Amino acid sequence: MMKKAYLSLAIAALSPTAMAVTLQDVENSFYPYKNGAPQVDGLSVGMVINKDNVEQFKANLDPAMYRFIAAGNYEMKVGATTSFDLHPNYVEATKARLGKVKLGEKVGQIEGADAGRPFVAEPDMNDPRAGEKLAWNFKYGYNWGDSAAIMPFYWKFRNMGTGKVERTLKFNFHFLNYTHRVNQDPKPALTPNPSNLFRGTYVQVVEPFDVKNTQLLIHRYEDDLKRDNAYLYLGFQRRVRRLSTGQVTDAFLGSDIMIEDFEGYNGRISDMNWSYKGTRNILMPFYNHNDMALDTETHKDQDGYQVVAFTGQGGCFPDITWQVRKVYELESASVDKNHPIGKRSHFVDAQTFTIPRTVSYDRKGDMWKTFTIGQSHPDFHLPANKGTGVSIDDSFSMIDLQANHCTTGQFKGQVDPTLSPAKKFTVQNLRASGR
Amino acid sequence: MSKKITTRLSALSVAVTAAMAGLTVPALGQASETEWAGFVENATYIRDGRGLTKFRNTAQAEWSRQLQPVGAFSEVSFHGTLRATYDGVYDLNKNEFGEDAGGSVIIESVGLPAMGGPSFVPHGGGLGNTAVAGAFGLTNNAFVDDYGSRNPNDGMIVLGEELHEQGGGVAFGVPVRPCDVDSRGCLSGYLDQDTDDLRYPEFNDRWDVLREAYVDATMDLDSGSQLNFRVGRQQIVWGRTDLFRVLDVINPVDYSRNNIYDELEDIRIPMWILQSELRMGPTGVFDDLNWSVMWNFDKFRPSNLGSCSGAYNILDGACFFRGMKNLWDNGGTVANFAGNGTLATNFGPHQIGIRDVELPSWSLANTQLGTKLEGVYRDLTFSLNALTYRSQLPSLRGGTTIKDQIINPFTGELQSDGVPYLIAFDMVFPRVNLIGGSMDYYAEGIDTVIRMEAAYTEGEEFADTLSKDLYSESDVFRFVIGADKNIMIPALNKSRAFLFSAQIFGEHLLDHRAETATLGETGFAAWKSNHIATLLMKGWWMNDRLSPQLIMAHDFRAGATAVAPSVEWLADDNWKVTLTANVKFGDGARKTDDCRSCNPYDPFTNYGTAEHAGGTAGSAGLSGFEPTGRFRSGPIGMAQREDEIQLTVRYRF
Repeated sequence: MMKKAYLSLAIAALSPTAMAVTLQDVENSFYPYKNGAPQVDGLSVGMVINKDNVEQFKANLDPAMYRFIAAGNYEMKVGATTSFDLHPNYVEATKARLGKVKLGEKVGQIEGADAGRPFVAEPDMNDPRAGEKLAWNFKYGYNWGDSAAIMPFYWKFRNMGTGKVERTLKFNFHFLNYTHRVNQDPKPALTPNPSNLFRGTYVQVVEPFDVKNTQLLIHRYEDDLKRDNAYLYLGFQRRVRRLSTGQVTDAFLGSDIMIEDFEGYNGRISDMNWSYKGTRNILMPFYNHNDMALDTETHKDQDGYQVVAFTGQGGCFPDITWQVRKVYELESASVDKNHPIGKRSHFVDAQTFTIPRTVSYDRKGDMWKTFTIGQSHPDFHLPANKGTGVSIDDSFSMIDLQANHCTTGQFKGQVDPTLSPAKKFTVQNLRASGR
Repeated sequence: MSKKITTRLSALSVAVTAAMAGLTVPALGQASETEWAGFVENATYIRDGRGLTKFRNTAQAEWSRQLQPVGAFSEVSFHGTLRATYDGVYDLNKNEFGEDAGGSVIIESVGLPAMGGPSFVPHGGGLGNTAVAGAFGLTNNAFVDDYGSRNPNDGMIVLGEELHEQGGGVAFGVPVRPCDVDSRGCLSGYLDQDTDDLRYPEFNDRWDVLREAYVDATMDLDSGSQLNFRVGRQQIVWGRTDLFRVLDVINPVDYSRNNIYDELEDIRIPMWILQSELRMGPTGVFDDLNWSVMWNFDKFRPSNLGSCSGAYNILDGACFFRGMKNLWDNGGTVANFAGNGTLATNFGPHQIGIRDVELPSWSLANTQLGTKLEGVYRDLTFSLNALTYRSQLPSLRGGTTIKDQIINPFTGELQSDGVPYLIAFDMVFPRVNLIGGSMDYYAEGIDTVIRMEAAYTEGEEFADTLSKDLYSESDVFRFVIGADKNIMIPALNKSRAFLFSAQIFGEHLLDHRAETATLGETGFAAWKSNHIATLLMKGWWMNDRLSPQLIMAHDFRAGATAVAPSVEWLADDNWKVTLTANVKFGDGARKTDDCRSCNPYDPFTNYGTAEHAGGTAGSAGLSGFEPTGRFRSGPIGMAQREDEIQLTVRYRF
């Protein structure tokens, strides 16, 4: 049985489909709207989808969003579909490796993928590893670019029934790619890098006082089969503690989000079984930050920057416009049968390979949580982000349908390498930045 | 919620700290943002049988401010913490812990009923000058008939009375009122709290209200490394374990707040320290490497063991020391002493007890130095540590170390050269050298984080009745192994795992010695080897706003267990309420050789045992709960009668 599975994986990895990619595939992958935006009958820019007309657009909504709108929890404003062009260096890196990337024998193994998008061909329903390839495209996506920071980053714990904001946490998040670097020096990798790290994520809690100085550091390795190392600094203990895997799938600091949820999926490829479920045109949270209704209370700074406002039932939904976009539906189910989540349906944006929508199901198969990560075009955000070619994570909402509770996130995302130097991503920095 | 204010930082504070760092003062005159936060808190604790033990009201403010770069230092910042406390228990329950505490005491004299007397006599009612002179013809004896107003039978408790009966062993009265009310037994400069020291513990001559104040300065080196200096009053935390201080020994600890149960963060006593770190980052085979050197240049401070006037004094040590100091200064009635450990005896001044405390003064030689190499190697994080420091817990050196002032109670003569095996002591804080290390590792197969910490010390001193000076040095090996595992229990909470954290602490005295004598065991009072296990179970509900937890600790040799269930409720970002119970079980007090049978004054103190043949001094092993049984009962066992309900309400701003 095992031999058979390996054989089919190996055949799939070496299939002609994987080998015959062309520059046209690159163009199609990075510029899907070059020949026009997808059209949906009856849907037009500026209209609002609500419980009265939601049935008409059910096919263009993910199941959780359909449920919310049908229940009158949210009214969705429709915006024009726009192209979120990723940085040209990332596209060029993709072209340079065209046809050289292939999957290894095991899930989590890949060859030739040291920069750019690994797989640009359209996913094939007949390819048993199509889902895995999409997952690799996400993992090695341009995401936040080579490095970025979210400073500050407000998380609000909300009772969805009453709208009461129970807690407000203020963070700074930092991301750094050690490898796969295409834009910021040094390229293509930082050295020295003794353990061959791929990416670092550093999180610092600024407020409130009881969790102030809590810091999280995640080291992800280039070798996907190697488990992340994660460290937590607790301000009240002034010590760095190693995190176990169990904590990665735990509600992070009491929010509705687990560390594994960060950015849509924050784990190893090899932790999941991946299934490609099809390509659809659905409404996705893509917008221009500067054109949105903004929250005038939560954040004020010298830049005049304001964060996205929230609306709808319990204030659990971003007050943004949504675009009809080409989406790959990707399902992940944990290899670990003790994982609290039965499966996730990821709605992967085909152009940016971000995951702006995810619906999670518990182990009984009931819908449990739904994650929205609003994406702003960088040219309509902070001036410094203009031209960065990064689809800016700009707002999030994680709704726990079973608990009728949500955590919302309001970002000030900054693509600025000076904010995320490598020295920030060391264990020692946790101690030094603590107290 | 922390705030940012635009202000001019106090010129004085910047100047002081910057001057220490050898910096110029660039930020003066430049406005910049200061971040500050803090809280006010009331902690009300009730103890079974004693009533209110704590009504502590705390205000704490913390601030930090980035300063302008200075020369090669690209990052410069200043951090400070102020803490002020008023504990109302000394006004609200003064019968137990204040100016009206204590009373008259009675002292056991187990041999007296055979002579037709009572089994207990009042303080001052023991075998005295007249009786000794009459019985033995020792007309020059220095025993005492009456302590008079110098050492009245008032404001006292019997040492250890909360935990155990006198039990045929040593016992004596201990003055318990604050030192401004009753100065008996108050050492000079240590554990000598007056009422205001107890009420307002941060307002003292060491300026503890300024809890932390330090400047951080970092320069980038051409190699890519960073060189950092942090100077000022600060805490430095070594190690990876909870509750136990194996490597985390740079700062002394204030046990007077809540024995061993408060977070170390709140009870470490910050010291004036210069720390320098070379942060090498990824280098060679290491993902991260850091080398630090720490110089604690502050005047030595021992740990605060509490006060006999207060509700929390670890090991009941403060009462022991105060009682012993009172015996030295004023004499006192000691239970079951003369007559081969059967008769309460009225000792006079300068015969037994604690003569003095030798707190190291400031000198270069008395400062403390440490170094640590810390890094990440693959999946392993590690540290190697070395430290030379002064013991923060006192050692009692007795016997021949006490010269020139000892009065022989039988003859009244001055014993200029000291007396072997005599229970008269000086309190000292010896230098200790430590080497150790720590590591943690994630064991993927069992999804568990393993933490380890170990230290080897030389120079520590322990009570030892086999030594003529009643103490011996012993090298000590200590370790902690901890395991942290998060377990999802979907039936209880499907989104938040429960934390299970277990630790085992081991302490091994490598030069321990013990012998069996005629009347019992002699030698070290402390266990040769002992282990303490802890278990923490913690859960979270309501998005971490409701968090029950259970902490258990068990001292194996002491046979003592503490159980502390608690519930923490975050009403919102500002209000937090914590309700805790702290309950102990176990065997309670332990007996050790108390050196009544040490025969310092042969033939008067000769028990007629083989150990004393030919007039030899040395212990025959007679034992009792006091005074050194506490070292076997440990902090859990000694607090066995201190079951409490504790309510803490905090408002954060």
